Amino acid sequence: MQKQLKFIKMKWVPLVVFILFGLALNAQQTVTGTVVSQPEGLPLPGANILVKGTATGATTDFDGNYTIVVQNSDAVLVFSYIGFVPQDVTVGSKTVIDVTLAEDASQLDEIVVVGYGTRKKSDITGAVSSVKSEELNAFPVLDAAQALQGRAAGVVVQSNNGGEPGAPINIKIRGNTSINASSSPLIVVDGFVGATMPQSNDIESLEVLKDASATAIYGSRGSNGVVLVTTKKGKTGKISIELNSTYAVQSISNQIDLLNADEFADYQNQIRANNGVTSAYPQGTADTDWQDLIYKSGSTANHQLSFSGGSDNINFYASGNYFKQDGVLVNSDFERLTFLSNIDAKVSDKLKLGLNLFGSRGTKNGAATQSNGSVSAGGDDVITLAMRYAPDQPLYNTDGSYTFGNTVGDPVDNPYAVATERIDETKTDNFRVNFYANYDIIEDLTFKTTYGFSTQNQTRGIYLPSVLVQTAGAESGRASVEQDKSTTMLSENYLTYTKELGKGNLTLLAGYSYQKTVSENFYSEATGFISDNFSFYGLSSATNILQPDSSISEVEIQSQFGRVNYDYDDKYLLTATIRRDGASNFSENEKYALFPSAALGWKVSSEDFLKESETISNLKLRVSYGVTGNPSIGAYESLARFETLYASSNGGTVSAITPEQAANPDLKWESSYQTNLGLDLGFFNNRVTLSLDYYDIDTKDLILTNNTITEYLGYTGDDILANIGEINNTGFEVALNTRNITNENFSWSTDFNIAFNKNEVVSLANDADLFFDATPSYFSHDRSYVLRVGEEVGLFWGYDYSGVYQGGALPSGTATLAGGVAGDPLFADLDGSGDITEADRGTIGNPNPDYTFGITNNFSYKNFDVSIFFQGSQGGDIFNLTNSQLSNGDANTTRDNFYSAWTPTNTDTNTPRVGNNSNREVSSRFVEDGSYIRLKNIAIGYNFPQELIENLGIDNLRLTLSAQNLLTITDYSGLDPEVNYFGAGGDNNTSANTAQGFDFGNYPTVKSVNFSLNVKF
Amino acid sequence: MKSYKILLLLIGVSVFGCSDLEEEPVGLLSPEGFFQTTGDIQTAVDGSLTHAINEMFWGRKLSVALMLRSDMVALASNETRRVEMDEFTTLASNGMISEFWPKTYQGIAAANQAIAGAEDVGVADEIKNPVTAQAYFARAFYYFHLVRLFGDVPYIDAPITDVDAATSMSRTPASEVYANIISDLEFAKAWLPNTVTSRAIPSKAAASSYLALVYLTMEEWQLAYDESTEVINNAGTYNLALESNFQNLFDASVIDASLEPIFALDYNNFEADDNAYDQIAPMTGIRGDVRNSGGGWSIAVPSLEVYTTWDAGDYRRAVSLDDTAKFDDDNDPETPDVEYPYTQFDVSAHEFAKNVPYIAKYTRFPEPFARANARATSHNYSMIRYAEVLLIAAESAVELGNNASALNYVNQVRARARMGGETMTGASVAVTVAPSTVPADLTGTVTVADVLEERRLELAFEGKRWYDIVRRQLGGVAFGTSGLEGAKSNFSSTDYLLPLPEDELERNPNLLPQNPGY
Repeated sequence: MQKQLKFIKMKWVPLVVFILFGLALNAQQTVTGTVVSQPEGLPLPGANILVKGTATGATTDFDGNYTIVVQNSDAVLVFSYIGFVPQDVTVGSKTVIDVTLAEDASQLDEIVVVGYGTRKKSDITGAVSSVKSEELNAFPVLDAAQALQGRAAGVVVQSNNGGEPGAPINIKIRGNTSINASSSPLIVVDGFVGATMPQSNDIESLEVLKDASATAIYGSRGSNGVVLVTTKKGKTGKISIELNSTYAVQSISNQIDLLNADEFADYQNQIRANNGVTSAYPQGTADTDWQDLIYKSGSTANHQLSFSGGSDNINFYASGNYFKQDGVLVNSDFERLTFLSNIDAKVSDKLKLGLNLFGSRGTKNGAATQSNGSVSAGGDDVITLAMRYAPDQPLYNTDGSYTFGNTVGDPVDNPYAVATERIDETKTDNFRVNFYANYDIIEDLTFKTTYGFSTQNQTRGIYLPSVLVQTAGAESGRASVEQDKSTTMLSENYLTYTKELGKGNLTLLAGYSYQKTVSENFYSEATGFISDNFSFYGLSSATNILQPDSSISEVEIQSQFGRVNYDYDDKYLLTATIRRDGASNFSENEKYALFPSAALGWKVSSEDFLKESETISNLKLRVSYGVTGNPSIGAYESLARFETLYASSNGGTVSAITPEQAANPDLKWESSYQTNLGLDLGFFNNRVTLSLDYYDIDTKDLILTNNTITEYLGYTGDDILANIGEINNTGFEVALNTRNITNENFSWSTDFNIAFNKNEVVSLANDADLFFDATPSYFSHDRSYVLRVGEEVGLFWGYDYSGVYQGGALPSGTATLAGGVAGDPLFADLDGSGDITEADRGTIGNPNPDYTFGITNNFSYKNFDVSIFFQGSQGGDIFNLTNSQLSNGDANTTRDNFYSAWTPTNTDTNTPRVGNNSNREVSSRFVEDGSYIRLKNIAIGYNFPQELIENLGIDNLRLTLSAQNLLTITDYSGLDPEVNYFGAGGDNNTSANTAQGFDFGNYPTVKSVNFSLNVKF
Repeated sequence: MKSYKILLLLIGVSVFGCSDLEEEPVGLLSPEGFFQTTGDIQTAVDGSLTHAINEMFWGRKLSVALMLRSDMVALASNETRRVEMDEFTTLASNGMISEFWPKTYQGIAAANQAIAGAEDVGVADEIKNPVTAQAYFARAFYYFHLVRLFGDVPYIDAPITDVDAATSMSRTPASEVYANIISDLEFAKAWLPNTVTSRAIPSKAAASSYLALVYLTMEEWQLAYDESTEVINNAGTYNLALESNFQNLFDASVIDASLEPIFALDYNNFEADDNAYDQIAPMTGIRGDVRNSGGGWSIAVPSLEVYTTWDAGDYRRAVSLDDTAKFDDDNDPETPDVEYPYTQFDVSAHEFAKNVPYIAKYTRFPEPFARANARATSHNYSMIRYAEVLLIAAESAVELGNNASALNYVNQVRARARMGGETMTGASVAVTVAPSTVPADLTGTVTVADVLEERRLELAFEGKRWYDIVRRQLGGVAFGTSGLEGAKSNFSSTDYLLPLPEDELERNPNLLPQNPGY
C-alpha cells in the first residue's frame, strides 16, 4: 500500500463540488461523494461502490469522486477498496456521501517479491522480511547492505573494517552455516542472480528470504538466505525528477587514552627497573599524539538525480549517483559513480519487454589497517602503530625525514609515514545489463525469458615507497598490480500459470536457467625502483621483477525449477518448490542435486470463529521444511590435479609437475536442512502486528580438510577435502510493529525486532578439535580459536587468566609462565604440572552474541517527522588483540594499563606489573564483553507544505538532519565493539565464518552528522 | 503473429546455454591427457627429483637427521626433534620424520606418474624408455632411503586410483621392497644412457652404482662386487674418475666439471617453490663466523674426537673440518676481523657455540648463494660418487676373500687423499697442501673394518655413515664408551629403524604394529 499512497501523494485534493440533479420526487436518486483513506485522508481512485444486492456499481475517479444512481432510499451502498475495510452506508435521504475507508491491515495485500514471481504478503508461507525503502534511505550508506543492519530480524550485518570508506560488508542470515565456504547470502537484483547490490536510493523494495520454503527455489545457492532487490521503475504519468543530496561530517567516536611523553618515559623506566636494567630510558624532547596526527574529520557527500515517468506503453526510470567519502583516517577515501536505468515497454497486450542497465566505477584509496603481521612486527598498520609509537618522538627528524624505528620494541615505520606515503588504490567497475520479455501465451499462462550479462573488473595497485624504511627501504620500493575480471552470463526462462479453481487459487511455475561465470586473475609484483614517482605504474623500471601469476576459472550452472502455490478459501496455503541444479564445479559423481521444499500456512483469522473478532485481525500459522545448498566447491577443486613446481635442477631452473591431489569424484556441496515454524499475528485492525519465527537449520556435508588421507599417497596438496562436518543453528525471531498513535496531526509508530541464534558444531573430521589462529603473525601464535564438537563456532582458545601473582606460594591450581615473579600474570594450571604449557589452554570466551536487536520509533507531527533507531548486540565476547599488544611493554600503553599495574605497593589490582613475563599471550585477560546498544540513527525531517512549494513547481521538498552512531553504550574498552579481524592468512570469504570477535587495528566506526535534501519535481 | 516470432527468437537466444558441465581447466594441469610426448614424461621426472632438493628432504631435514644419528656429528641445539635424533630418544611424533616421510613419498608419486604416463605416450620404447628409466631410478632412490630408514613400508608403484584402498593398505616387507628397488634399477640400467649432460640426471652409471650399493646393503657380496666392478671397468665409457683435488668435490664453483659425482642433487642458488633449497651450510656452520653473510647457526657439530682421531696429515681432514675461523669480535665493522683457533670459537658468545672444529665441506665454497648464512647455495651434493663405488668394490671383495682387489680399490681412494691440493682454511687463508704420506697404502689383509673406516672418513658428513652403522650393526661400539661421541646410553638395537609417523598410523591402523622400541 505504501507505494501506491506515495504515488497519490503527488496529487492534491481539489474541493469537491456537489451537484444535485433533481429532487426526491422520483424514488430514483443520484448520490455523489468522495472516498478517502484513513489515516492519511488521501483520495482513493478506483474504489468500488456497489448497490448491495444488485449489479449496479460505480468506481471513483482519479480524485476519489464518484457518482451513482440508486433506485430508492433504502438502498445500501458498499464501498470497497483493496486493502481497506469495506463499509456499508444506507442512502436514506442523503445525496452526498463522503466515505473514509480504514486501511485493512488484515488483508495485507502488499505484494512481496519472491524468487521468480510475487505473492500477496498474506499468502506467504515462508519466513520473509521486507525492508522498506524509507528504512534503506534513512541515512546515507555506501552499500545498501549496511542499511539492513538492525532492520530485519535474524540478519546480521557487519563491516569488515569498521568505518573504512569502501570496506566490504558481511551479511549473515540466521548464523554461520559453513566453515570453509561462504556464509554470505545470495543477492538477486531484478531477477539477476548473484548481482552487485545497487545503490540504496534506487531500491524500491528489498526482501530477505530466510527459510528453506522461500530460498529452495534458488537450490544450491540458497542455504545462506537470499536477498531479493527490486529497483525502481517508472510509473505512468508525468515525468518526475527527483534530487537527493546529502552531506555528512564525520569524526571518530573514540580514541584510546594513551600515555604522553613524560608518562611514557616513566613507564619505560619502570619496565627497565623491573627487568634489572639500571640505565634510564633516554627520553626524547617531543610530545607527539600520534592518534591526533592520523585522524581527521571526514565527510560524505551523496548526490542523486533521477528521472522517471512513462506513457501507457513505455515506462522508464533513470538515475545517476555520485558518492564520495573522505575517511577519518588520513589518506583513506572512496569515490563512486553509479548509473541505473530501467525501461519497460508494452509492445502489445500480450508482450512486454524490458531492459535494466547498471554501471558503476568505484575508487578506493585504502589506508593500511588491520595488519595481518606479514610486514615485520606488524609495521604496516596505521591504527595500532599510532598507539604503539613512542610519544616522545617527533614526526620528523631535523633534516625533514620521518623519524623511524620506534624507541622500544621491534623497529617499525612511523605511523604517519605509513598513513600518508603508502599507496593502495582499488578501482572497481561494474556493469550489468538484463533484458526480459514477458508474453501472455493464453489467459492464465505467461512466459518470461530473461537474458543478462554482468561484468566486474577490479584493479588493485599497491606501492610501498622506500621512505617506509622497515617495510620497503631495503628493497627500494615494492609495487604490485592485481587485476580480477569476472563475467557472468545468465539466461532464464519460465512459465507461470495461474488459475482460480472454485474456492482455490493455483499458481504453477516451471523454468530453466543457465548461468556461466568466468573469472580471470593477473598478478605481478616488483621491487627495486630508482624513484618513488612511478607509484605502481612503472613495473618495468624495477630492478627485480618477481614471478607473475595468472589464472582463469569457469563455472557453469544449469537448473530446472518449479513451484506450486495453492490456496483454498483464503484459509489454507500450500507452497512446494523444487530445484534441480547441475554445476560444473560439482564433482564427477555428484553433478546434479535436488533441492525440495514444502510449506503450509493456515490463516486462522479467516475461519468463521475469528472472522468477526475485534481484537485479532490476523492470525496465521506457517510451517516449512526444505533443503538448500551451498556450492562450496571451488572450480576444479574435485579434479585430479598436478602441481607445477618451479624447480632448481640440472644446473638451471625447470618447470616440473607432481601429483597435487587425487580426483574427488564424490565431493558434494554443503546442504542445509531447515525447519521453520512461524506465527503472524495482528491485533486491533492490525495496529499491532507480531511475527514470530522459530528455525532449526542442520547444515551437513560441510567440506573440511580430510586429515584421514595418509601422506604416503604422495600428494602435495595440503587441503584434501571431504564432506565431513555438520553445524546446527537454531533460533527465534520476533518482529513487532505497532502504530501507537495515529491522529491527523500526530502519529507514533514503533518497529522492533530481535533475534536469538544458537549454533553448535555437531561433527568434524574424527570429531577432533579444529584449531585456527586469528592473531597477527608477529604475535607468533598458532592457536587462538577452536571449533569443537558440541560447542558454538569459534570459541577463543588460550590460558585462563587468574589475576596477578603476589609472590610466595602459588595459589592452588595456578601457575605463572616460565620465570614468573611477583606482579606477573597467573594462569589456571589445568593439568596441574606446575608450569603453564600447551596443556593449560582451554576455551576462554564465546564471540557469538546471544541476541541482536533493532528498534525504531517514528514520530510525525504535522510536517515534521522524527526517527530514532537503536541497534544492538548482547552477549558476544571480543578478544582485544590491540590491548594485548599495548600491554606488552615494547610500545606505548594505555593510561589504564599503566596506572592500574601491579607494584609492590599497589597489589590489589588485576593488571600485572609493567614489563611482566607474558608475551602477547592468548589469555582470558584480554577477553571482554562486546555487548552494545547503539543509537544508530536519529533523524528529524521536515516536508515543506504543498502551499509553499506548489508555486515553485515542486511536488515535494524535504529536509532532513540526522546523526549516526551518536551514542554507543558498551563496556568494551577498545575503539569500537563492532569488530572483524581475521588475523594472518585470514580473509573475508572463509575466515568470516569462524574467526569472530577479534579486534586488532580495526578502522573505527565513525560518528556522522548529516544534512539531506530531497526535491521532487 | 509477429510477437510469436520475437518470442521464438528469444527462446532461441536463451537456450544456447546447454552444457555437459564437464570442467576443462585452463592453466591447471590434470593427469588426464597430459602425457603426449617424452618431454611430458621428463616433466614428471623433474618433478620427482625436485622433491629431493627440498628442505624437507636433502635440503635439511633428512640430511641433518642422518648426520645427527651417526657417530660423526653431535648436536648443538636444544630443539626437541633434533635432540630426539641425536640422543636416540626419537618419538613417532618426531618433527623431522614428519617432514621427510611425506616428501619422500611425493617424489615416489611423481615418479609413478611419469611411469604410468609413459604408457600413454605413443612412441617407440627406444625413444621413451631412456626418459622413463629416470623415473624408475628416482623411485628406487626414494624407496632405498625409506627401506633403510623404516624397514617395512607401504609400497606404491602406480598412481593412486582408489584412495580408500591405498589409505588402508598394509606395509610391504622390506625384502619385497628391496626386490622392487632392484627391478627398478635394472630397468633404469638397461635404458639409461652411458653419459649425461649433468650428473643430476640419472645415467646408466648411476643406476649401476646404486645397484651395487643396494646389493652391498643386502649383503649380496658377489652381486655387489660384480656391479661395482662393472662401473669401475667401464669408467671410461661412463666418463668417471676420481677428482684429483678432494676439495673440488665441495667447491660449488668447480663441481659441475668434476667426473667423480655419479648422481648428485644440484642446487642453483635460489629458493624454488615450496622451500626447495638447501640449508646444510648454515646448519653446520660456525656461529659468528664472518663468512657467508652472517656465519652459520652451529647446530650439527662433530665431537672433538672426530678431529683428534683423524690423522692430521690426511688432506681430507683439512677439507672436511674447519679448525680456524675469523670473527668480528668487537662488533665494529671498521676494525679487522680476527682469526681464532677452534679452542676459542665461543668468542661468538652464542649459547650453543662449541670449541671444536666444525664441518667445512659445505661452508667453505658455497658461492653463489641466494640467502644469507649460505642458504640456497650452488652445491652439488653427491648421492653417490666414484670413490664410494671403489669402496663398495673393496668391501665386497673383502667379503669374497679377494684381498688383492680389495687392496687395489681401497688404496686408490687413499692415494687420492695423499695428493693434497689447493684449499682454504676456515679463516679464509688460501693454502696449498703438499702431497703427503698419509694415509699410507694399506698392505697385507684388508678387513671389513678397514673399509668401513675408510668410508667413514672419505664420506664424512655426506649422509652415508648412519646407513653403514645400520647395515653393519655398528651401534654397540659406535655409541659405546669408546665411541666418538662417548657413551650414548639411550641407544639400543631397535634404534636401527625409525618409527613410522604416528599420525600415519592413526590414519591407517593397518600400518600397525609400529616398529619395535617406539
